[in-house]
Amino acid sequence: MSTGHELLNQIETKFPGAVKVDSVTERVAFLSVCDEQLVALADFLANQMNARFVMEIGTDKRPVNQKYELSYIFCLDQEGFEISLKVMVDENKLEVPSITPVIPGAGWAEREVYDMLGIVAVNHPDPRRLVLADDWPEDLFPMRKDFEHDNRPPAAEVKKIMKEPDGNATVVSVGPFFPTLEEPAYFRLFVEGEKVVGCDYRGFFSHRGIEKLADKVLDYNQVPFMAERICGICGFVHSCSYCQAVEMAAEIEVPARARYIRTIMLELERIHSHLLWIGLAGHIIGFDTVLMQSWRVREPVMWLCEQITGNRKTYGMNLVGGVRRDIPEDLHPKILETLDKIESESRTIIDAIIKDKPLLMRLQGVGTLSREDGRKLCVVGPTARASGLETDIRVKYPYAAYGELDMKAAFQTGGDVLARTLVRAEELFTAIDLVRQALQKMPEGPIMAEFSDIPPYREGISLIEAPRGESLHYVLTGPDNRPYRWSVRAPTYAQLQAIPDMLSRSTVADFPLIVASIDPCFSCTERVETVDRSSHTIKTYRREELLQQLQNKYRGGERS
Amino acid sequence: MWLSKFKELKLCLKAGRVTLPYPLAPGETMKGFRGRPVLNGDLCLGCGACAAVCPPRTIFVIDEQDTRTIQVDYSRCTYCARCEEVCPVGSITLNNEFELATTNKNDMKLSATLSMAKCKNCGTPFTTQRMLAKLTDDYYPEWMQVKVDPPEWFSICPDCRKKLEASRLKGGSKIV
Repeated sequence: MSTGHELLNQIETKFPGAVKVDSVTERVAFLSVCDEQLVALADFLANQMNARFVMEIGTDKRPVNQKYELSYIFCLDQEGFEISLKVMVDENKLEVPSITPVIPGAGWAEREVYDMLGIVAVNHPDPRRLVLADDWPEDLFPMRKDFEHDNRPPAAEVKKIMKEPDGNATVVSVGPFFPTLEEPAYFRLFVEGEKVVGCDYRGFFSHRGIEKLADKVLDYNQVPFMAERICGICGFVHSCSYCQAVEMAAEIEVPARARYIRTIMLELERIHSHLLWIGLAGHIIGFDTVLMQSWRVREPVMWLCEQITGNRKTYGMNLVGGVRRDIPEDLHPKILETLDKIESESRTIIDAIIKDKPLLMRLQGVGTLSREDGRKLCVVGPTARASGLETDIRVKYPYAAYGELDMKAAFQTGGDVLARTLVRAEELFTAIDLVRQALQKMPEGPIMAEFSDIPPYREGISLIEAPRGESLHYVLTGPDNRPYRWSVRAPTYAQLQAIPDMLSRSTVADFPLIVASIDPCFSCTERVETVDRSSHTIKTYRREELLQQLQNKYRGGERS
Repeated sequence: MWLSKFKELKLCLKAGRVTLPYPLAPGETMKGFRGRPVLNGDLCLGCGACAAVCPPRTIFVIDEQDTRTIQVDYSRCTYCARCEEVCPVGSITLNNEFELATTNKNDMKLSATLSMAKCKNCGTPFTTQRMLAKLTDDYYPEWMQVKVDPPEWFSICPDCRKKLEASRLKGGSKIV
């Protein structure tokens, strides 16, 4: 009996008659469950079966069956099995019990579902808004199907939603433009002296609504190019993950050569992403030699990617069913030569810095995340592996050509920034080895599958081990040869929820490094706080007040 | 600690200066680079395949009375080269230029205007003359070495074809 059936039997024994099996394969089971049983079942999966909560995806299916559908995706990492729990919500009820009390890592996902569809998670410990702007109207939910993609509602009153510190803690604002990573994110640190005692985060300032665009406008083969622009570093991950989700839904068999080319590109991306991170981490602690040298070593990878795909970033390689460009035989020596160079130079750098005492003093014991906390908060990727959690999607849920290649995931048990650095350094060399293996084993053949129309209302889930962690794409196919719903969970979504925990025992000086250690990719608010130094009071300006102030200053109070 | 510092120093000295002299010397791109889009109006058929696949939807098909204009506004282009990939005649290509900054947004617009062919039956323009010519050429390629006049329905718009075919089935006159 396969893993899937065993698991389903266990669930059936524990909750007789609670779940309805919609479909089950070797790797994934789609289950329907009624909302009364949801919390108990989620608790059972996460806290007894050791399943990891990945994402909750809300879909407005009112045009089809007058319901909203919520899919809770879980991963059983030991067994390499995915479970999707589907709850139907009546269009007049708009309520569902919250699973955050039993799975803390689900907090953001449930807040996002409220923002996007207006479905309230009852008993949510922190039911604030997450994604939408502070001046977004209360009663407009953009992922509903009756909301047009180009609708621009007038700004409503700005709501103040950031947390205030308990007791006597002082607020230190970092952001809304995060200074070390040059990205928009706003951290509100609560400090007592040097110690950070709490923190609140506001992000999603650059929420671009691309899921909505796919909902209304884009067709299957236009989405990969939008998906690629989700991230400026691991774009290939997103386009590949999206394509895999559609391929799963439509049961398209991707040619072997295309799978190998995807693997090679994914690993080249990991190489340049990890080298970039090592450089940035060095830069943040003021060790710019590391920045200069690791970025110098990284550059040939970018040139190589340009040669293979036609651009150093945003490769535009993926389409549903395969890839667009082949890697010709005569390019192989060049790739191997570049890899050799990167390998030896990276070793030199890591060898030189890893015993550097001042560096170790900044990395060791900083931002520690224990194994148990990491599991509860559902962290992924190098952050999880540095805390000793065995989650590597490439090993547990092989996709592309990983099942045919020989690899070992990198683990550390320290859980601190040093451990995260060591995991990434080891993965850099694993990635180089994987590219070599893939080049050697790459079979001949076509690079694009042939298929006819994609059937409507099929679901596809695709997990990919991005350089930053696990990235999830969910696709529900639609009737007019377009996706009905496309949902993305980037790895930073999971990691950022662990930041308060990592910060709780640290000092202000370590804050930028800790945030950087999860290798975040932020998204973003228009909010400015000023601190009056004479009275030590904090004044938060609302947007109108700030605009008024600026207008008074620069235009003599006249609105132009 | 001093050993590490020594290793780091050696690493930096060995690497030397790597900064490229760009922009004092021209920046080079690799073969197959996807840069500025170029539209060759002499080849364009006006089929609109490029507009259909363009992910940022920045290629427009503008139909006016007697003309069809294919307009590419590459200020929003993502340089994916999907248009180049689907163009049946190779009229749109991406070259290796990457310095595209301009003070005039209109510099980033390309267009090709083509004459429309009119329906023999109702007089409505229904496709470009070039599309029709290509259809005829493809239907009777040169290697057949037989000169046959294209069937009459080639120059009738789809709407009229439907109507005429329906009336034929009802017993009216057949179109050849």
